[in-house]
Amino acid sequence: MSRMLIPIAVLVVLVAVSVFGDRPQPRADLTFINSSEVNTLDPQRMSWMHDLRTARLLFEGLVKNDVLSDGFEIIPGVAESWELSDDARTYTFRFRDDAKWTNGEPVTAHDFVYSWRRAMLPDLVSDYVAMFMNIDGARAFYDWRQEQLDGFMEREYASPQAQRDASYALWEETKEQFDAMVGLRAIDDRTLEVMLERPVPYFLELCAFTVFAPVYEPLVAQYERPDPTTARLVRRPGWTKGGVLVSNGPFKLDEWRFKRDMRMSKSEHYWDRDSIAIRTVSIPSISDPNAGVLAYQTGSIDWISDVTSPYRGDMVAQKLAFLEEHKERVEELQAQGYDQFSITRMLPDDPRAHTHAVSSFGTYFYNFNCKPRLPDGRENPFADARVRRAFAMCIDKPAIAREVRRLGEPSASTLIPPGSIGGYTSPKGLPNIGDAVSEEERQKIIDTAKALLEEANFPDDFVVELAFNKDAGHDLIGQAIAKSWQKSLGVQTSLSQKEIKIFREDLKNKQYMTARAGWFGDYGDPTTFLDINHSQDGNNDRAYNNPVYDQLLADAANELDPEKRMTLLSEAERIIMEEDLPMVPIFYYATIYMFDAKKLTGLSTHPRTKQNAFLIDMLGDGIGPDLPRPMNPDSIQIGGVSP
Amino acid sequence: MMTLILRRLASLPIILLVIYTITLTLAWAVPGNPLENPEKRPKPEVVEQMKKQYNLDSFPRFYVSYLSSATGFAYAKDWISGELSREREAAIAAGFPPAQRPVFDLGPSLEYDDWTVNEIVRGALPVSITLGAAAILIALIIGLGAGVIGAVKPNSIADLCTLTIAMIGISLPGFVIGTALLLVFAVLVPLFPVGGWGGPSKAILPAVTLSLPFAAYIARLTRMGMIESLGADYIRTARAKGASERAVLYKHALKNAFLPVLSFLGPATALAMTGSFVIEKVFTIPGMGQHFVNGVQNKDLFLIMGVVLIFATMLILFNLVVDVLYRWVDPRID
Repeated sequence: MSRMLIPIAVLVVLVAVSVFGDRPQPRADLTFINSSEVNTLDPQRMSWMHDLRTARLLFEGLVKNDVLSDGFEIIPGVAESWELSDDARTYTFRFRDDAKWTNGEPVTAHDFVYSWRRAMLPDLVSDYVAMFMNIDGARAFYDWRQEQLDGFMEREYASPQAQRDASYALWEETKEQFDAMVGLRAIDDRTLEVMLERPVPYFLELCAFTVFAPVYEPLVAQYERPDPTTARLVRRPGWTKGGVLVSNGPFKLDEWRFKRDMRMSKSEHYWDRDSIAIRTVSIPSISDPNAGVLAYQTGSIDWISDVTSPYRGDMVAQKLAFLEEHKERVEELQAQGYDQFSITRMLPDDPRAHTHAVSSFGTYFYNFNCKPRLPDGRENPFADARVRRAFAMCIDKPAIAREVRRLGEPSASTLIPPGSIGGYTSPKGLPNIGDAVSEEERQKIIDTAKALLEEANFPDDFVVELAFNKDAGHDLIGQAIAKSWQKSLGVQTSLSQKEIKIFREDLKNKQYMTARAGWFGDYGDPTTFLDINHSQDGNNDRAYNNPVYDQLLADAANELDPEKRMTLLSEAERIIMEEDLPMVPIFYYATIYMFDAKKLTGLSTHPRTKQNAFLIDMLGDGIGPDLPRPMNPDSIQIGGVSP
Repeated sequence: MMTLILRRLASLPIILLVIYTITLTLAWAVPGNPLENPEKRPKPEVVEQMKKQYNLDSFPRFYVSYLSSATGFAYAKDWISGELSREREAAIAAGFPPAQRPVFDLGPSLEYDDWTVNEIVRGALPVSITLGAAAILIALIIGLGAGVIGAVKPNSIADLCTLTIAMIGISLPGFVIGTALLLVFAVLVPLFPVGGWGGPSKAILPAVTLSLPFAAYIARLTRMGMIESLGADYIRTARAKGASERAVLYKHALKNAFLPVLSFLGPATALAMTGSFVIEKVFTIPGMGQHFVNGVQNKDLFLIMGVVLIFATMLILFNLVVDVLYRWVDPRID
């Protein structure tokens, strides 16, 4: 018998050693969660919203947005001042002398040249490479490098060693070419000159985008080298890990354990360190939405930055009921110009008040495939704009927002959330059956749509297919749209649910008839939305091609007068939203937060919803000023969601 | 004994090769492009080059290259041929610091840019092994206890209760039990944290959840084995010579009844230690199980192959260990 106990004893020791050896760390000043694990902390490689949100704690660009101001103003970051030349094509940034990396070294203009060069290389496959193409010579450099890489693959080499040497030589040549071709220059350590291809009115907005943040060359260069067989610069992972990463933002990365947690502490070298009211940040990785809410309710999390649990509709409904109970006070505070978080803070304590819906600079829509033929070779009725228009009018959008999504999101008639971009006037959009005030008006819209279908010779017993990926309730929205079309237009529909990877592949290859989609803006300019419908754009999943539209975008790009430029862009949006309808906007996205407004302050309610978590102050923890940080009282809440 | 171990070890590469071939074929056939980004798409020629770099453009090339780097063969070859040091020198000459190449290289994660599969496994495997070991321990304690109680008084109320609970343990899926335990012991009565990993308090609920199906199975095996041996001649002899009831039960009967449990423990331990997707999700545990599912969802080929190879190796080794233990515990078996 004693022999049998030995394996058991081994197990006991194993468990005891590893369980007790893995001590939990003390609670951080701020603990928040993203909706999924960070994909990368390499600024030039990132595109996910949770990556960007996390990276803004670690990295700082030339400038940043004042997210707590109504105008989302550009304020200094690494650059303390900047000048724009008279022809509006050359920016000269002057660096503050106390901008430091987390290791105490100064941040220099050379760091930016190095980092932006990384982004402009086809090798790195930056998702936002297009933004860098605004810089003079960037496009030519990109194409040159790509050509060289193509040529490298086709050439024959005497030996693997010769090939490797050639790949290194090409890299040396690439660096020289970059300096010769691209209008980016470090005049001295503290002065950066950027020549633009043409005037780009929103260039500072781009500079505030984390993809334009610098990386530390002495570290990163150690992890990058040309692949000996393809000559492509390959990046090895490693430099984004805790204790290794050198960054220049308010925080430094202490630890990152994959799908487990991330810990940061305030950087003692950050120039504006005195304004930071939290010493440590912990970001546990909780991928299960319900587990996240439970963790919040038991007090181990201060802020959920994106609640995705299936019952979040009920949470929002309870919040609205809570506000209804305090209606008078809410209206009084709204009239005084308080933002939704401040209002919640001033109401009595209630667990229902911890849910917050904020508008999120994104639109949910359905794509129409605009190609003349369908994937199966049949003629595509949706190639006709009249058909698309008719179908667009006959989706009961408010009902979907109200009854299916249940997050208080406004139904959409445009691609760009109205009010999110200063100085831009949104077009009106098409009439919609859901907006009709009377049954008569509704019938009139349906009759118009039917007439359009008749005009376009829409075939009888044609089955309209709706494609969507299987997660996040897209099936319910698909069903609601199908029902709308069946009821009002009398067409047959079929629903096609796909795995996300396959769904994306189908979209890219235009292997669909109609399909769900969504788009979030990256910077404060209409082009962040409108570009995706340009005939040559890589994200034009609709195969939409209208030379008039393309021309309007081109004209706007060359227009120096900001007001005229916005008019041109507004006209472009009018074409796609009132005439051509390559996509039907359904609703404007809201993001659901969970936090206690009485304890946590510093989050923005601006419709652009970019949160700079380093602005957060935990009230009453004795660190920082412990005063509420509301939005600028004049903050406009257009296009936004009710509190 | 030595022959058995050697024979088993010799067959390990062959079994692994078969598993590797089948898994890679299936994973390769899954539609979708692992290099596809969610929104912004790289140009087609860039995608082509990326595919070439990872050998994703050709099944045979990927098959061979991944196999040789994952098994350490590529490293050994480059080391012997001197390529490793030449590579080093060339890099230093060109101004790059020498790269650290792992001996067993499971490749990069295609979905998570900042991680190699080696790093992912290094982080997740210890967590899964700890949790699995704890679960098996709990399963043994509960299972053996319940089995003995049931066997001593078959068909008594205690027996019926343990049988019912065992049945529930087998039938109810982990996410139901896990969520229920979480709601009761973490939310209603906040004895334990709601999830995460690190320290004993976070390990208890998931370990119990993970142990229940194993405990139930062990209880049934023990009960059956005990009832059978309690009726055997040698037990009668033991009683006849005046051995105490305690000695009869634990020294004589349980010893024989434990043998089927022991053979169950091999695959059970491997299964418990390679992680459970469901339990990891419910309790937010950074273990191996999630990578099986997420790897396939993301078509992260390197990650899929890495975790499958690790799992297969563990399964084979644990079975071997159990076979060795079996002979050691009961020398009659050969």
